[in-house]
Amino acid sequence: MPEGSKMKKPDVKVVILGDMNVGKTSLLHRYTERKFKDTISTVGGAFYLKQWGPYNISIWDTAGREQFHGLGSMYCRGAAAVILTYDVTNWQSLAELEERFLSLTDTANHDCIYAIVGNKADLTDPKAQLPQDSDRVSEDRAECEEETGSQVLSTCPTPPASPASLSGVMVHKQVGHEDAMALYGRILRYKGLEENGSLPAEKMCFETSAKTGYNVDILFETLFDLVLPSILRKRNENQQSPTVDLEDCRGGNNKRGKTACC
Amino acid sequence: MSVKAFELVPAVERELLMGDKARINIECLECCGKHLYVGTNDCFIHHFLLDEVTTSKGRLTYSAQKLLHKYLGLKKPVAELRAASALERLIVLCDGIVFLVDMVTLETVPSAAGGGAKIKGVTAFSPTVQIYMVYEDRVQLVKEVTTPEAQPYMILNYSTGAAQDLFPIQQRGRRPIVKRIGREEFLLAAPGGLGMFANAEGVSQRAPVNWSESVIGAAVCFPYVVALDEGFITVHSMLDQQLKQTLSFRDGHILQDFEGKVVLASTKAVYILVPLPLERQIQDLLASHRVEEALTLTEGAQRNIPKDKFQVTDLHKRILQQAGFIQFGQLQFLEAKEHFRKGQLDVRELISLYPLLLPASSSFTRCHPPLHEFADLNHLAQGDQEKVLRCKKFLITYLGEVRSTEVVNGCREDVDTALLKLYAEQDHDSLLDLLASDNACLLADSIPWLEKYHKYFALGLLYNYNGQDSAALQLWIRVVDGDLQDSTRSDLYEYIVDFLSFCSNVDLVWKYADWALRKDPTIGVQIFTKRPTTKDQSGVLNPDDVITYLGKHSQALLLYLEHLVLERRLQKEKFHTHLAVLYLERVLSLLSQSPADEEQVTRGRERLQALLRESSLYRVQFLLGKIETSQELLLERATLHGKLEEHDKALHILVHQLRDFGSAEAYCLWASSSRDSTYRQRLFHLLLGVYLDRNLPATAQSAGGGGGGELEMAAVDLLNRHGEVFDAVRVLSMLPEGWSLQLLRPFLGRAIRASMHACRTSQVALGLARSENLQLLHDRLKERKNPIFVSEKKGCHLCHNTFSEPDVVCMPGGVPVHTHCVAQRIRDSPTKRQLTNSSNHT
Repeated sequence: MPEGSKMKKPDVKVVILGDMNVGKTSLLHRYTERKFKDTISTVGGAFYLKQWGPYNISIWDTAGREQFHGLGSMYCRGAAAVILTYDVTNWQSLAELEERFLSLTDTANHDCIYAIVGNKADLTDPKAQLPQDSDRVSEDRAECEEETGSQVLSTCPTPPASPASLSGVMVHKQVGHEDAMALYGRILRYKGLEENGSLPAEKMCFETSAKTGYNVDILFETLFDLVLPSILRKRNENQQSPTVDLEDCRGGNNKRGKTACC
Repeated sequence: MSVKAFELVPAVERELLMGDKARINIECLECCGKHLYVGTNDCFIHHFLLDEVTTSKGRLTYSAQKLLHKYLGLKKPVAELRAASALERLIVLCDGIVFLVDMVTLETVPSAAGGGAKIKGVTAFSPTVQIYMVYEDRVQLVKEVTTPEAQPYMILNYSTGAAQDLFPIQQRGRRPIVKRIGREEFLLAAPGGLGMFANAEGVSQRAPVNWSESVIGAAVCFPYVVALDEGFITVHSMLDQQLKQTLSFRDGHILQDFEGKVVLASTKAVYILVPLPLERQIQDLLASHRVEEALTLTEGAQRNIPKDKFQVTDLHKRILQQAGFIQFGQLQFLEAKEHFRKGQLDVRELISLYPLLLPASSSFTRCHPPLHEFADLNHLAQGDQEKVLRCKKFLITYLGEVRSTEVVNGCREDVDTALLKLYAEQDHDSLLDLLASDNACLLADSIPWLEKYHKYFALGLLYNYNGQDSAALQLWIRVVDGDLQDSTRSDLYEYIVDFLSFCSNVDLVWKYADWALRKDPTIGVQIFTKRPTTKDQSGVLNPDDVITYLGKHSQALLLYLEHLVLERRLQKEKFHTHLAVLYLERVLSLLSQSPADEEQVTRGRERLQALLRESSLYRVQFLLGKIETSQELLLERATLHGKLEEHDKALHILVHQLRDFGSAEAYCLWASSSRDSTYRQRLFHLLLGVYLDRNLPATAQSAGGGGGGELEMAAVDLLNRHGEVFDAVRVLSMLPEGWSLQLLRPFLGRAIRASMHACRTSQVALGLARSENLQLLHDRLKERKNPIFVSEKKGCHLCHNTFSEPDVVCMPGGVPVHTHCVAQRIRDSPTKRQLTNSSNHT
């Protein structure tokens, strides 16, 4: 059953931004449905509610098309994390992040965290072509960016080759990991943040493949863990609010109960 | 697509509104209860009364009745109408002027406070929001909020003036659309033909819906968002943002919702979008197998279904059940099960799909209207046997899971019987578990089914569970005898024996034990031997009855007696004698065969001997009488004599007839085993005497066949081996003169050593006693040295009275007491004799 639809109020918001065709919907789809399928160009935006422990995290998949650009800042309002997505085979998609999308994040929370994600890594990187073990526990995710080389290789044979990537023809990688890290540094400066006091670029820059699942779980789970403090703070504020929220009372005591236990 | 969420119903036809005047157009609408107000481009307000009419087919239509129309006299189109029904006023915007008219008469309200009921210049150039209070007879400016250049949509808090930009208005030249959809939530037309949701904080909490670029108006009718564009009415769900319905509608002009009523107008006529009952929408979705959408709609709409019409939960349950059946039909069992569970499905609905599973006696009838479209499983599977099988396996799992829950309250018989049938048919291992545990399987219905699948063992269990043990046994016996085929248990015979051994119905035991014993007496007898003894009286069998019963099964009888005597150790002469006799008869019969089976004879005699030795309950004389005829069972005879304490006879047999000196020695030890050493000595002396008896040398020697020295050697060995038992002095007097010292050296050596040992031990004891005596003497003298004071104030230690006379007795430690007290005490306890030696003291 689609979890997204109703009643449950999200505790925190994560927004995926990026140019059209970089694979935002596919990333979300890979994470939530554990598969890769053809998607159509997103109209306006879509959202998914993820149960993360006792918390509800809403993940907004935005439309990359220029036409819907004006809506971006609204989606970003109150966001606790923003995933800035580009396509590793397309330099322009990285440039667009800075030129077009960064300003949309002005409405996000002041302590919003930013991840820069280069998708379609399977096109340029052989190690991203192996199917990922979807049940893998992500304990080692803190280091995995560094040690992807030693990642446990699945014993499964290589999946049937797709004409684009696995026939041995590698597409030229236009955006290097260091380019993304440099952009991250510029984002911090744009936000007026000290590099020392912020999350390090190595931790917040990912290369993923929605097609094979490479690094996708790691990306989302890293972010979810990082936004937990934000959730707790938000709940705390709600609790201290002098306003009596009738909706909340009617919506059942489970919410109150949850707050009480954390 | 293709949910029919709304129906377009005409409300005010062209003729009623404008007759044949072609140039008149509708400009604006207001609907307030039954009252519909229409503003036209020729500055008229028309007032209609709308009545809901339900047709015979249950469809909702509207009939409009024109009440009034009124010219406002401004020659401009009426731009906006708003009702303030509590005040019975209609707020009119026309020609840039806002004013009030009476809702009933449509007369302009005369200004009580002098012209205050009009606001002019409403379409001012500076973007300003002015807020007025409307009274019956005047309007009053409360607040004015200037807005910046009205480019994007913005959220404006009118009490604080705080503003927040949302996003740009879609296109120049198009009217922005803002609809309030709930508490602090709005629906806005966004660029790209989107319907965006925004709350008061400027945050979107639902994904946008996708309209066309040319959207003219929008309305909300939970859970749908309705939009109007140049050619169509589109209906999107707010629950999943999907397009649900499209209605063709040309010349659309106005779309507005009034208190839940969606009203629509072309330039010439007014229509109403009548929402179809949600239940019907849900049923439509289910009918086209769109389970997820149906459930989403059900859950999303639950609070909108009128409670007086439906028990909300019942409807929801029904929909869940229907969803479950759809998924069941698609063999999506996991999902189906979840929905059955959530929907609290009457399990029998599912069982009834499977032909013949419900018991004939079941009162169940399928619910109406039906929850699904299947006649039965065959209809569902369309002859695909693999499908049928998968469905059956699913039902097995499902019933297994629910049968112990409250879901099956009131229909346990039906569920358990169905499960039994499935298990039997599918040859499932759990059939026996079901029958062996608490169950509600109906016997009448299960019998033919179990017979059909040759599950006779299981059927027996069911009989047993229903208290029909006799039927169960008859059935099982027929299986063991090969009349019926059921390979469930290869050890069914043993099972029956075990069953009978625990069977509390004594009559049944008597009835069927004979069959079991004839089949195999050694196992059959377990019916009696394995019977729990510590049971209540009902199932206890009297051993005498059993013995009588076992009369013709000699082997079983023997085993049973062994059980009574050797295992249960019943101390009853009858059983012991009987067992001994049986043992004896068996040995005798073995011996009478020729050639006799040595091994069997030995084994039989060992048992007999053991019993004769160890039991002291059997009738010795009786056995002796039986055994005397036999020349071979001498050892047994000796044992019997021993039981009678006729040791001389026994030893005589052992020594002279049997010439088994080892047995003779063993006999002495056995016969004196529970007696004192004197008795043992007597026996050994007796044996020695037999050995040395010179009155019988001839027979003894002839029987033994050896030299006369044989008995003497036995005597020597006896002495040397058991020297400690004998009285050496008496032995010496018995021994023949001629025996060499060397021969008896071990015996004599040991005897002397023992005598020496005894002598020295007694000397040590004597010395110890003397020294103790001396010590006591010393203590006494020591006590005597000190004077012992007696006065009238001192009390006696025994009676606690004071002394009145000087005569006292002194206790050890110098304690004076009355003489009569001591005397008393000595009388009471004769052990304290030493006190008599105490001397008086003055």
